Amino acid sequence: MNSLNIEEIYKIIPQRFPFVMLDRVTELEPGKKVVAFKNVSYNEEFFEGHFPSRPVMPGALIIEAMAQASIILFSSAKPAVQDKQLTYYLGAVKVRFLHPVVPGDQLVITVEPLKVVSSAAIVKAAARVLDKEVASAEISLVAK
Amino acid sequence: MQDIDTEIRDLIAAIIEKEPEKIGPETRFMEDLGVDSMMALEILAAIEKKYKIVIPEEKLPELATLSATVKIAREYLAGKKNEQS
Repeated sequence: MNSLNIEEIYKIIPQRFPFVMLDRVTELEPGKKVVAFKNVSYNEEFFEGHFPSRPVMPGALIIEAMAQASIILFSSAKPAVQDKQLTYYLGAVKVRFLHPVVPGDQLVITVEPLKVVSSAAIVKAAARVLDKEVASAEISLVAK
Repeated sequence: MQDIDTEIRDLIAAIIEKEPEKIGPETRFMEDLGVDSMMALEILAAIEKKYKIVIPEEKLPELATLSATVKIAREYLAGKKNEQS
């Protein structure tokens, strides 16, 4: 069981500030499972507008956190891609949001593969806060 | 019980969001139905999950029509049964 700190995450995902939606990877079973978290702080810029009187993390950014964990999973399954400057595209997302995510929450993302091929992957993702599932998704992504 | 042709046709129809009736045995996925490589991978993954088989990536380009897809699924299903017996 490997963990990755933010510097190590930066080596894998192409996203940068202000669009890095993971703080740490706590479990990495190459090609099999990734568990990562994001600490959601009130200082996040998106809370200013989403929403002014009721801060809720946008669901689109929860999907983004899942997608970034998926990139880490894909790249661990296909180590050959790690040195290439790949761009990742979402192909399809089936998602269900179950509970709002608010400042102070630690958003824990788990992703597991459904199918991984050389330039694409379909994964199952879950987001939890304190062991309560807040979102679940099936995500297809393509690496180019 | 539905036959495997109908099951796979319905599964593909759900993924590509078309009416099952639009998918004939030789209807070309890419040219006639607008299926892209990502949808083809989703079809492959859905078939693997439904029949609990593993189809290698190399077979992906062969998933060009319903009849070709059913043929591949049958092939790997037969392989699975042989393994079990």
